[in-house]
Amino acid sequence: MAADASSDPLSPLLQRLLSGVPLLAESPTHVLEVVGVLESYGEVLDAYSRNLIYQGEQQFLNPFPVFRFFNGELNWGRLWRHLNHDRINFEYAEYCQKAMLWHGTGGLDAFLESENFADICRQVGRLKQRHDPLLGLLGALFPQFLPELIRSAATTHALGQFWRVMSDLFLDLARAHRQGQITSIASIVEFVKTGLVAAAGLPIRYAVQLHGATVAILPEDAQLTFLMDVAVPYVEAVFLRGMPFLGTLSFNAQATQIPHDQGQFGYGALFADPLPTMGAGIPPSLLMQDMYRHLPPDLEATYRTQGRGVVDIHVKICMSFQKAMFCVTNGAINGTMPHPLDDPDPRHQSANRDHCMGWLERLRQAQLTALEASGPEAIRTPGHH
Amino acid sequence: MTASAPSILSLVLLTPLLGALGLTLLPGGVSPAWLRRLSLAALTAQLLLTAALLFRFDPTTGQMQLLEQMAWLGTLGLDYRLGVDGLSLPLLLINGILSLVAVAISPLTTPRPRSYFALLLLISGAVNGAFLAQNLLLFFLFYELELIPLWLLIAIWGGPRRAYAATKFLIFTAVSGALILVGFLGLALATGGLDFSIDPALSQQLGLGTQLLLMGALVVGFGIKIPLFPFHSWLPDAHTEASTPISVLLAGVLLKLGTYGLLRFCLSLFPQAWALLAPGLAGWAAVSVLFGSLAAIAQTDMKRMVAYSSVGHMGYVLLAAAAATPISLLGSLLQMLAHGLISGLMFLLVGVIYQATGTRDLTVLRGLLNPQRGLPLTGGLMILAVMASAGIPGMAGFVAELMVFRGSLLTFPLATLLSMVGSGLTAVYFLLLVNRAFFGRLATEPDGKPPALLPLAGLARQAPAVVLAAGVVLMGLWPQGLANLAVASTSALGQPAGGPFTSGTLTNMVIPSANQPVASDFLLEAAAHGG
Repeated sequence: MAADASSDPLSPLLQRLLSGVPLLAESPTHVLEVVGVLESYGEVLDAYSRNLIYQGEQQFLNPFPVFRFFNGELNWGRLWRHLNHDRINFEYAEYCQKAMLWHGTGGLDAFLESENFADICRQVGRLKQRHDPLLGLLGALFPQFLPELIRSAATTHALGQFWRVMSDLFLDLARAHRQGQITSIASIVEFVKTGLVAAAGLPIRYAVQLHGATVAILPEDAQLTFLMDVAVPYVEAVFLRGMPFLGTLSFNAQATQIPHDQGQFGYGALFADPLPTMGAGIPPSLLMQDMYRHLPPDLEATYRTQGRGVVDIHVKICMSFQKAMFCVTNGAINGTMPHPLDDPDPRHQSANRDHCMGWLERLRQAQLTALEASGPEAIRTPGHH
Repeated sequence: MTASAPSILSLVLLTPLLGALGLTLLPGGVSPAWLRRLSLAALTAQLLLTAALLFRFDPTTGQMQLLEQMAWLGTLGLDYRLGVDGLSLPLLLINGILSLVAVAISPLTTPRPRSYFALLLLISGAVNGAFLAQNLLLFFLFYELELIPLWLLIAIWGGPRRAYAATKFLIFTAVSGALILVGFLGLALATGGLDFSIDPALSQQLGLGTQLLLMGALVVGFGIKIPLFPFHSWLPDAHTEASTPISVLLAGVLLKLGTYGLLRFCLSLFPQAWALLAPGLAGWAAVSVLFGSLAAIAQTDMKRMVAYSSVGHMGYVLLAAAAATPISLLGSLLQMLAHGLISGLMFLLVGVIYQATGTRDLTVLRGLLNPQRGLPLTGGLMILAVMASAGIPGMAGFVAELMVFRGSLLTFPLATLLSMVGSGLTAVYFLLLVNRAFFGRLATEPDGKPPALLPLAGLARQAPAVVLAAGVVLMGLWPQGLANLAVASTSALGQPAGGPFTSGTLTNMVIPSANQPVASDFLLEAAAHGG
């Protein structure tokens, strides 16, 4: 077993986690990339978050949400910019929301399947029936239709709340970096971990105004909290599992290239191939385009000197984004560690080890080469086929 | 030279030759960039002069035009006689275009640039001479003149096995030259026409046995140059070892000397023998097409694949020439031109890929169409070239192949159908090429090839490929432009009509061209249906 452990590519990573060393290698370039990309990601998440909260509150059960990306500010100029793609591509936010809804893990999903939530759906159904004959008819014909729409709206709003916190956290990180407080990868991971732990207990709530009445879709007594009910399911759905048919690699489900067990999926952001292969691909290409619009000048200048300059900038942003997401995952692993790392109790140490190993096993097929300190030319063939 | 004769043909011929001479006489220390600029200037002048021919050329007659004649070595029968018709003018144009492209894509880092560019100009001039020559010995002179520079260009500037490839090329083509010389000398001796003029009236008076013997020597001689199976084996080696500009010239222009020789000398001079051998030639064409196509499928080196595809596609020219109907003869010329443009484009693109990735191995290359890190423009143009080569409508290959097959089908149904199978096989091997090299994920293993970050060629350096691709599409959409220029001459090839220096009457000949529609009518009909 000892030989196995030493030959396992994960064992150095396990050692790093247990000794408090970040997974991503320390290097000045990495600090520049991670802080810069997280700053632009923070700007993008700010827009995503505002839009998802707007959708949850203002577009609730709208049967034709054609202008849902406009945040209520519809005019010709904005419509032109939207059609011209001079905008944030909210499609990626929707992709993440759908991934969360579809994979459905954690406390939020458990609540969405509960009897309590079914009561809320019935209450919404009664209110809507009087004013919306179309939904009334559909609800009567297909009893699962309305609850599913409400689940989707609830996930949308919850993701908006989650990203509100993350956006502020990433923008704060960039501010702290400018003030000289962040100088290493270790300090970035620590900053993220502290931010996640501080926000861990924030309540997740969602209420809508419906024909004069206020309905709590995610009520206070559901006791949903930021970290365990939204953040961890988000990491599971978006960073790890993802969706096989929207990535940049194509898979053949009939040839069982996709695992039967949804829990074994590895198509998330940490697994994504930074090289677009001309297949279908909302993630990560649209997200990279969004981040490109908000890149800090120093990082953009660095990208321009590397590789093909602007031509392959999306590839470079994606590679840096994966490094940044490994830091966030690292922060989440550290933040959910059952016991302090310096705890001398062997049982606690063992529990910590199991906790880390559980995470690392999930990352076995991820783009672990992103963790090494290397130039922009290092893209390796993904191992999962 | 006759008093009223314009000297434009001599200018076309001499411009590159004088350019080559000029390069060698330049004082030392001239930079490679200036050598290339001067070469480009000479070739631009040559192309403009060739284009100027279009204004003085009368496409309504199949006769030789713009004749220039000057006594040279009369005792040897070597007279300086130039002329142009609808068969040679388009070939002159394509020589002008591809020579310009070859020089434009030659890297400035080429060692011994002065000799290199001078030899390129020499080849271009010699090819012009061969297409313009109206004297058998003069043609032979230029035919041989083009061999030496090409041999040197492969042997000095070629790849690792250049010595082998160049020697093989030289041996094969020297045999080809010897057979052609034997044919020409035999013709002169047999007819007593020691002035070596191209005179069908004299050659057709020979007995059929003599005709067959002389034409056999010429057919094999030109068959080596084309090349046809089983004389093809020098071509893949020569292409593999030649640098990209030389491959472009070799595939686009030099192979056409062989097919031009078939039409100009074998078919025109010996129509009776040709008619007798035509079924065999058609069968040979089908074998060559199928062999070239099947061999191409088995290749993993992109250049060898394109080279074997040339063997297959040149087979169509022989098929059309064998059928010798007005449509098929026009088709054979269009196939020469289409193949010149398409294969030139393909070799150029393969060269770009080789330069960027360091390999042409189809088992290594993958995903080159990648929009951000691959070679998307090169990939796009390669797909266009592949589609054109496979005969997709709207591009040059379709028009040429359609006319070849339409013109030959009634005369040689089986050979034509087998050749059509070869056309289908073209799609097979080129789809294999595109699928392996361009689709999928870009190969970026750190320890493998190609490197993760391909150097991107600038738009200016891609311009020659874009120009050739535009030519392929233009010829596909507007084939009448070239066809109208050539149709009178190609139709006359199969007819009992004399050359420009004919004085005698013609005997009857049997050409299997009965009940064939006129080529130009067919083209109009095809154009009306979107062809």
